[in-house]
Amino acid sequence: MVRNSSNTINIAISGVGGQGVLTLAEILAKTALAEGLNVRVGEIHGMAQRGGHVVCTVRIGDGAKGPVIDAGSADLLVGFEPVETLREIHLIKKNGCVVMSSHVQYPVAVSMGQAEYPSHESILQSIHEFTNRVIEFDAMSIALNSGSSYSLNMVMFGAILGTGLVPISKDSALRTIRESFPKRFEQINIDAAETGFSTVKTCL
Amino acid sequence: MARPQELLEDNPGKKMLLLANEAIARGVLEAGVRLVALYPGTPSSEIGNNLTAMAPHIPNFYFEFSTNEKVALEVAGAAAIAGVRSMMVCKGPGLNVAADPFFSLAYVGVRAGMVIVVADDPSMWSSQNENDSRYYALMGNMPMMEPSDPIEAKSMLLEAYKFSEMFELPVLFRTTTRVNHTRAPVEFGQIPTLPQKVEFEKEPFRFVPIPSVARTRHPWLLKQIKKAQEVSETSSLNFIEGEGELGIITCGVSYNYVRESLAEMNIQAEIFKLGITHPIPEKKIISFLRNHKQVVIVEELEPFIETHTRRLAQLHGVSVEILGKEQGYFSRVGEYSPRIAMEALCKVINCNTTINWQDIDERARKIPDIPPRPPLLCAGCPHRATYYAIRAATRGKAIYPSDIGCYTLSIAPPLETADILFDMGSSITTACGLAEVTDQDVVATIGDSTFFASGLPGIVDAVYNQHRICLVVLDNRTTAMTGHQPHPGTGVTGMQKHVKPLDIEEVCKGLGVKYVKTVYPFESIAGLVAEVREMVKWARDNHSPAVLVSKEPCALLTAADRRREGIELPKYYVESEMCNSCKRCLNRLSCPAMYMDPETEKAVIDETLCNLCGTCVAVCPQGAIKREVE
Repeated sequence: MVRNSSNTINIAISGVGGQGVLTLAEILAKTALAEGLNVRVGEIHGMAQRGGHVVCTVRIGDGAKGPVIDAGSADLLVGFEPVETLREIHLIKKNGCVVMSSHVQYPVAVSMGQAEYPSHESILQSIHEFTNRVIEFDAMSIALNSGSSYSLNMVMFGAILGTGLVPISKDSALRTIRESFPKRFEQINIDAAETGFSTVKTCL
Repeated sequence: MARPQELLEDNPGKKMLLLANEAIARGVLEAGVRLVALYPGTPSSEIGNNLTAMAPHIPNFYFEFSTNEKVALEVAGAAAIAGVRSMMVCKGPGLNVAADPFFSLAYVGVRAGMVIVVADDPSMWSSQNENDSRYYALMGNMPMMEPSDPIEAKSMLLEAYKFSEMFELPVLFRTTTRVNHTRAPVEFGQIPTLPQKVEFEKEPFRFVPIPSVARTRHPWLLKQIKKAQEVSETSSLNFIEGEGELGIITCGVSYNYVRESLAEMNIQAEIFKLGITHPIPEKKIISFLRNHKQVVIVEELEPFIETHTRRLAQLHGVSVEILGKEQGYFSRVGEYSPRIAMEALCKVINCNTTINWQDIDERARKIPDIPPRPPLLCAGCPHRATYYAIRAATRGKAIYPSDIGCYTLSIAPPLETADILFDMGSSITTACGLAEVTDQDVVATIGDSTFFASGLPGIVDAVYNQHRICLVVLDNRTTAMTGHQPHPGTGVTGMQKHVKPLDIEEVCKGLGVKYVKTVYPFESIAGLVAEVREMVKWARDNHSPAVLVSKEPCALLTAADRRREGIELPKYYVESEMCNSCKRCLNRLSCPAMYMDPETEKAVIDETLCNLCGTCVAVCPQGAIKREVE
């Protein structure tokens, strides 16, 4: 059955407060709007941002009315960190695509010995229980090579476009980046997005 | 965030991606609102953040971050009585603070349009309760509107001002987190020019509700609501769409979930979407009920519309099955989603959901333990050092009343310095109660913004009634939790004017506190521990309140300053050879920038996360944490 919502792309973005998840969601949605597409963004602010787990949603297409993406409804899950990707894996659609940065940021509970960080193999195994389309790369090292850890979200922006799942052109995306950040950080952010884009392209 | 200057653009027809909170800030401009007063509270905070940036550029416009919500409502209420359009904004618990003037304001009414924006927080993303503020409209007899998305947040706001002026009553504009913090394309409208000063026309026998006046105002208020109901019957804000045997009544963000559910499952239904939820269009609802055998009510939190609907069906003898929370189709807890709407609708019409959620839930349950990552004090947060010292000085044995702000996060191990909390300012007053009936030391903590908002009456109580409480004011020079708004201690106003700040130490002394000292948490941990000990002893010996002001700017602000100015400071690192893996730094501070390297089993500082407070240096017994030399 072709569903009425099939013309809508649901993107869930999961990470740690401070990694730039909210900014990525907004930049992505702004670009979609510039391309003439209907869009909704769901954000979480306040208490939830203080180094805790953050998840944002971007929904592009005519079927997007509200901001929420339910379990089993995301076409694309973008994870800034392995455990944070796993935490939201239930959102992914059957055969949906996961784009995940492999760089680990240890939760305090792990540092204090109150919890264990799962092994990389077990994380991937759990993800594969939901989908086999997993693209994984170290986005943090790309961000650092581009000039700043703060460009991590733009690496992920490039990565999202690299999947080809989102109806947004790279040129339009780079234009939004140029318009949205101070000039000093422009080249770093552009480089980050370009490398994220090409890295994911080679993974496909 | 949309740039505030973009929100100022006189460019009707322009479409911009806006948060509902940004759309409301833009709506203030388009509605010709002359004065806005608020105390920040998530999920409404970005309304104030944008207005303060816009305010100096709007001729004749006044914006203030008021001391608290009660103050804000009084400031804004008076402006609307004087004859200019005004607005007050708060989160759900903020309306509780402003409840006193709220009820009076409905009795006396306003001369120009006034809107009270209240942002409820289903699921409590950043609140201490998920109370449904809609009952305020019912109890106070104030008209109410509920937008469902950012687009309506602006268009309905303009209608709210007209409605307010039609009935000379403020309008409660009720949003929820998923409206406030959703972004959508919003189209700009015209910007009118604002009036200059107006002349206050006296009418004391309306605006001073002494009993004899109030007795005439209550019937007036009921009459106004009756009139408002007639308008509600025909208003386009309450509309019916779609067709089908099944009827659905909904409001707010749930309307979107209903629409998505029907589309996803290909179900035909007639939807009655309420924009004005007080007074509700009773006649229209009754005829809607008559047209259906089954009507499902979809609304988050309390059965507000549902109870109204059941009342109307009973009153008018309509035989219709009303399905909602009363029979367990929906929960009174937490926010909704399309899934929740779909599952309930499937139960009603006896079908299966298009997605097999049981299967997904089952697979999700099988995922091995995922380490939790709750919000916590940021790397470099000065509160961490202060709490470490409080805990060390009292060996964890004192009672630690807490307050509303980032610092409530000290509830988590290993700091564990939050034992009791009700509301803004309750750290001081609960400390008074506890000191009176226990023999334990009581060390309360309160933030600087909360101190000014609601702390002062508690201090007066402690001084006058001689409560032996200790209070540490965590002065991080901002209202951090809600996004760094100024407060009376910062020296900046909502109009971005620089003024003389109120000094917390002087305020305490002025209120009669005999023991007040200012300390700097990053200077010396040992010194800080000694200061807390001395304060605790003094409060005990003198049976009076003692105050420490722990002063250091929020780490997020100092980090942002450094980044903006391109300043690179020497970094902290762990000398690996000297680290004996005792984990004291990790276990005592729970700093998100530190972790144990799984290979070397030594502590490591992640330099991309470290905010350079240096608190860990003093905590390491080996002296293994060092700073690069410039």
